Amino acid sequence: MTNENPATKAAAEIADWTNALGQEVYKFAARTGALWTGRRTPLSVTPRDIAALEHMSKEFLEKHDFAVGAGVIFSVDAIDSRGGILEWWTTRAKGIEKLEFDLIPGGERFYDYQNMPFFTAASRTGEQSMWGPYVDYLGLDEYILTHTAPIRLDGRFVGVAGYDIRIRKLEEIFMPALRAIPGDAALLNESRRVVVGNSGAYLVGERVRSIPDDKQLIPVDVPHLGLSLLTAR
Amino acid sequence: MESALASTTAFEAQIYRSLPETERSEAIVERISKAISLGLLKVGERLPRETALSEMFGVAPSTLREALSELRDQGIVATRRGRSGGTFIVRQPFTSSEVIRKWFQETSIAEIRDVGDEHAAIAAATVRLACERAEPHETNRLLDLARGVVMTDKPELQARADSRFHIELAVLAQSPRLTNAEIRLQSETVQALWSTVSLARDPEQVAAEHLALARVIANDAPEEAQRLVLEHIRHDIHHLVDAKLSLGYPPFQQERS
Repeated sequence: MTNENPATKAAAEIADWTNALGQEVYKFAARTGALWTGRRTPLSVTPRDIAALEHMSKEFLEKHDFAVGAGVIFSVDAIDSRGGILEWWTTRAKGIEKLEFDLIPGGERFYDYQNMPFFTAASRTGEQSMWGPYVDYLGLDEYILTHTAPIRLDGRFVGVAGYDIRIRKLEEIFMPALRAIPGDAALLNESRRVVVGNSGAYLVGERVRSIPDDKQLIPVDVPHLGLSLLTAR
Repeated sequence: MESALASTTAFEAQIYRSLPETERSEAIVERISKAISLGLLKVGERLPRETALSEMFGVAPSTLREALSELRDQGIVATRRGRSGGTFIVRQPFTSSEVIRKWFQETSIAEIRDVGDEHAAIAAATVRLACERAEPHETNRLLDLARGVVMTDKPELQARADSRFHIELAVLAQSPRLTNAEIRLQSETVQALWSTVSLARDPEQVAAEHLALARVIANDAPEEAQRLVLEHIRHDIHHLVDAKLSLGYPPFQQERS
């Protein structure tokens, strides 16, 4: 395969875009974590910290206006304050707004973030992770994808920082690259679920359980996210 | 600043979010226009009296008058005074190519797929119930309606014939709620499906699929009816996605950082 192959070219474009953004997510995580440098553990999250986190999230959302939400989630084991566990903001017509979650286990709308894949994966691997497309009915109530990076203090995992993007926005971003590929093609996530497809043949959210004989998976070179491109052989 | 909203969860905020911008009178205009374009109200028909209408819609008489005045301005209804007076439907509302083009541009593939998912869920149950509940003379009617889309080459009449067939399935299922759901789903997509602003739907293929479905319902074969209706809806959705994509995809403007 050469760089002239449109599928290889599309995979490279998607990888470039995602890698650039991944760098930003790692930076976002490092900056938020730096608030606690030299402070005692377990961490306490003060109103002042929350104000600083809001400011950083706002900056992230302004710089990346395709994102619909951004913030941090701490591991309950890492902090000793009752609040400040899930600090996540969403863009509104005017400015940003804090999302409120039900964090009481057993509550009807309990947002079990400690078991959300974008949390567990970042905790397990210590690297960036991506989860979606999923219907975030307990949070934004949108069809979204979440991309996070771990927050580490002295080498210890304490939580994640990241952003949400609407699937319809991802479609706008990736479709030009995918449409340049002749024939049916689709960007798949780690569990081989369609993120964006270039035709009606592979619709977002569907799982590709077996690769048809005339198709192949080519990797999208973004570390740890497991993205691939399904395209003609 | 503590507001009343600050203490609610995002889930609750979603439930209590403000109602759509569309004014109530606009909603009435929309409802009546859609009903006419789906063929549920016909040209020449008289609408119920204003007092009855405002009661049914649950709006003030002034809101209703505003809606009727808008429909008059659009030339869809006319009001005649006198003994045999009333408000009559005088013209088919016309969904312009511009409106349909905009719908294709603003509706994402994820949303089109989701309409298809809902339609599939509704239709699967509908055809099973139709098999169980329809009587032979009713299935004859369904067989007649099945070929409606090839009886005309006007897109708006093809759209009406298509939705009429699907609504009839829900009627055969004896369920007002499924009928309402089907009417709502039809009004969301059927005009885009038959519009010629993009790729045209093949009426022969649609008629063949309708006919096959009508036959298995007449033969009381629910499993097969479900399989056929799901396949039919998948074809509709693939067509809408392909029609959207063939209109081109605007390049994404990445923001400067």
